[in-house]
Amino acid sequence: MLDLLRETVERAAGHCAYAEARHVHTRLESLAVHDELVDAVDADESEGIGVRVLVGGAWGFAATRDVSSAGAEIALRRALALAAAQPAAGARPLAPVAPSTGHWESACAIDPFAISLDERLGHLFAAVAAMRGDARIIRAEAGAHMVRTRKALATSDGTAVTQVSTETGAGIEATAAGGGEIQVRTYPTSHGGNVAAAGWEHVLGLDLLGHAPRVAAEAIELLTAPELPEGRRTIVLHGEQVALQLHESIGHALELDRMLLGEAAYAGTSWVAPGDLTTALRYGSEHLNVSADATLAGGLGTFGWDDEGVPGARTMLVENGTLRAALSDRQSAAAIGLDGSGGCARAEGFDRQPIVRMTNVSLEPGAAGSLADLIADTGDGLYLESNRSWSIDDRRWQFQFATEVAREIRDGELGRLYRNPSYAGITPQFWGSLDAVCGPDEWRLWGLVNCGKGEPGQIMQVSHGTAPARFRDVQVGVA
Amino acid sequence: MSRALELAERALRFLDGEGQATVTHERSLVLRYARSAPTQATDVDDTSIHLLALRDGHTGSATTNVDTDEALRDAARRAMAAAEAAARAAGGPGDHPGLPAPPAAYDTHDGDDPDTARVDPSPGGAALKAAFAVAAERDLEAFGTWSTGAVETALASSTGMHAVDRVTDAYMKIILRDARGRTGWDAQMAVAVGDLDGEAGARRAAAKVTAEEPATLPPGEYPVVLDAYAVGGLLDQLAGLAFNGQSHAEGRGALEGKLGTRVAAPSITLTDAPHAAGTLPRAFDFEGVPKAPIALIRDGVAEHVVHDSRSAALAGGGARSTGHAATPGGDQFGPTPTNLVLAGGDARDLAALAAPIERGIYVTRLWYVNVVHPQQTLVTGTTRDGTFLIEDGKITKPLHDVRFTDSVLRILDQTEALSATAQLVGDAEFYGRRFAWGVVAPALRARGFRVTG
Repeated sequence: MLDLLRETVERAAGHCAYAEARHVHTRLESLAVHDELVDAVDADESEGIGVRVLVGGAWGFAATRDVSSAGAEIALRRALALAAAQPAAGARPLAPVAPSTGHWESACAIDPFAISLDERLGHLFAAVAAMRGDARIIRAEAGAHMVRTRKALATSDGTAVTQVSTETGAGIEATAAGGGEIQVRTYPTSHGGNVAAAGWEHVLGLDLLGHAPRVAAEAIELLTAPELPEGRRTIVLHGEQVALQLHESIGHALELDRMLLGEAAYAGTSWVAPGDLTTALRYGSEHLNVSADATLAGGLGTFGWDDEGVPGARTMLVENGTLRAALSDRQSAAAIGLDGSGGCARAEGFDRQPIVRMTNVSLEPGAAGSLADLIADTGDGLYLESNRSWSIDDRRWQFQFATEVAREIRDGELGRLYRNPSYAGITPQFWGSLDAVCGPDEWRLWGLVNCGKGEPGQIMQVSHGTAPARFRDVQVGVA
Repeated sequence: MSRALELAERALRFLDGEGQATVTHERSLVLRYARSAPTQATDVDDTSIHLLALRDGHTGSATTNVDTDEALRDAARRAMAAAEAAARAAGGPGDHPGLPAPPAAYDTHDGDDPDTARVDPSPGGAALKAAFAVAAERDLEAFGTWSTGAVETALASSTGMHAVDRVTDAYMKIILRDARGRTGWDAQMAVAVGDLDGEAGARRAAAKVTAEEPATLPPGEYPVVLDAYAVGGLLDQLAGLAFNGQSHAEGRGALEGKLGTRVAAPSITLTDAPHAAGTLPRAFDFEGVPKAPIALIRDGVAEHVVHDSRSAALAGGGARSTGHAATPGGDQFGPTPTNLVLAGGDARDLAALAAPIERGIYVTRLWYVNVVHPQQTLVTGTTRDGTFLIEDGKITKPLHDVRFTDSVLRILDQTEALSATAQLVGDAEFYGRRFAWGVVAPALRARGFRVTG
């Protein structure tokens, strides 16, 4: 396939300033069960070639499922015609990148596609059965998700690389009803389960069966729990909620295309300006250290090369609360005079072009020890777990989140449960109130598989490493 | 016979027993621009072949975009193996009642425009130039999207279903922005690309960019005029929360115990009307069931939820599919309306809607609306690209964007008036295979809108 892609790029020579051809083959399986029924056993396989060219400052990208040489040539012609049909644009330089060759694969100990459907469905049904029994549980469900993506990329800069990634994950959910109330509890995350760049061993490690009784019991307990009252409180966030908070209010805010207004019409802009990258902007407290790391084992944002052929790398975005860098691709990096791309150009599949995306944006572990240590160190507060709702404005400035549960912290111990908890804040103020992050033993990767951006829309998979963290004087009970 | 239907019938032959083959061919273009210059342009040509197998009420599916016999045979084998594994794992019959029989006929519609079906980028280039020119006149920068698509869906099933539907859609979004970041916004959505007007849209967007510094509105409940796009955004949320027949049958829907009761102001009549004027028509759903109008709320009273075959069987009581299967065999998350139409009222225009308001807000559109409490239809989001103060009956000065947290049904219950004209509104987001949908919505005035930040 690389030869065909190279040939396509060579055909583009003389017609454009830059060309790339990418072949992507994706195999996906999605399983979902509830109660005694199978909701879905879906298998999806697709392949195709996407060709992107830069002509006179205008991009053209065309995708085809015809993976023959003739098909790729037609796609190239369509891409060139599309670029030419647009109004003239100024020069769009690209940050330099050294040509790469080679192959990369993510780790996968137990091939999820090699496990029989019966065994995988049985695994899910066992967890579902362990959530059932109480009549107040009106729906118990479980799902699993596995994807293998094979990519090949050739660029007019001389890059010719191939890579294979396998992603696997699972999760469970219990819905309880009673007294006119409906409550939902999930594990390990509320967005379809926790997914990692790994094989079926990751699902086994989640121990869905072991957590199922607790999940059901907490859903029932929430039915009669009081609503969280409005107020300003100290909050401790579970790692999963820290991950989404980080994703929405730091990850997206530091996408350089947003900062340069390139996404103003859809995803939005950013409260951070490009000039803030060189003026030591205060993003949060001294406990805030954030990395973007495309080399992290198990991360959904881990790769050998991004979709422009830039090698995966680790970059500190925020150090001790001070802004250091942004997430960039070759074009946005060049626009602000950087020496090289941040290596964040990623495309959903063969029929989408690369855009600036997060890799694995993580909150570095702190010195607050274990979660038990952090709770013990908190005199009065709330411990919030499992995202229930999320919304943030188009500058990534003002946000409002809700979680499935909150537990009161009184004199260093967990107490009563509250239902429908929520909190809101302003990004730099909120991260400025961060006063403790748990240590490396509590640090986990949380895989999100529903990050939307771009037109036409692209869903991207990203991971965030986080540990539970504490924030002071936060507005709660807002919804 | 269409090539898509030929392919569907060829694929069906590889399935043993009950099953369905669905072919979706997409040709589409998306041109994006920022700072009055093109930024990204995408041309997609792809075909998906979806094979659905049923075994004892259990479904299994496989999708491929390779149309060789070998690939189709492999996909069929996977689909059948999936359905058989589901039946073994569940240990009892599944919940799918069986694929529907073919209807006598499908209604024709005017949702397929031949010019649009050519998927030509040149009207897009011209529309961008026109928008850039208006922006330059006003010393503004233009940001936005122009997009067009043609999608053919063909379906063949073991029950004798043979159906083809062709639809086109076109969309243009224009945001004009001044040097201080103040924006004005316009969007157009239609069946035909010829109905998009870059210059006119840019002029409407420019009119919303005011020189005045935006004021800040404190949290509280305010009378509101919601423009059509804001109304459409709320109704989009309501579609999944209230009218999903699966959630409703399981007692999880927002209309649980409320069908036949008043849930909104008497002026609210909401229909799923796939052949209404101004909508994006479709002939059938993903099970081949014909699309037909269904009243969801009539004169403020909740009337119906929507069904696919699976949710109708779950609901029982003689419920039948209303033609709302979101995927072949029914989506695991249930059916949803795709052609909402909110009936207009008698208000002449936005000024007439604003006239009775002493102090309130005018909202052009909403952003990042997400559900807080499904059964209460409680959602939160922010306003974006044009929020204004209404004072003494007139839209006066710009406001900074606000966060709202409110119940969609409560807002509809508080609705006092609707504009006489309605427009097709939607976001044209197109994640995955292109499936264009929109809401035909008027603007409305409601007594209370809860601003929470």
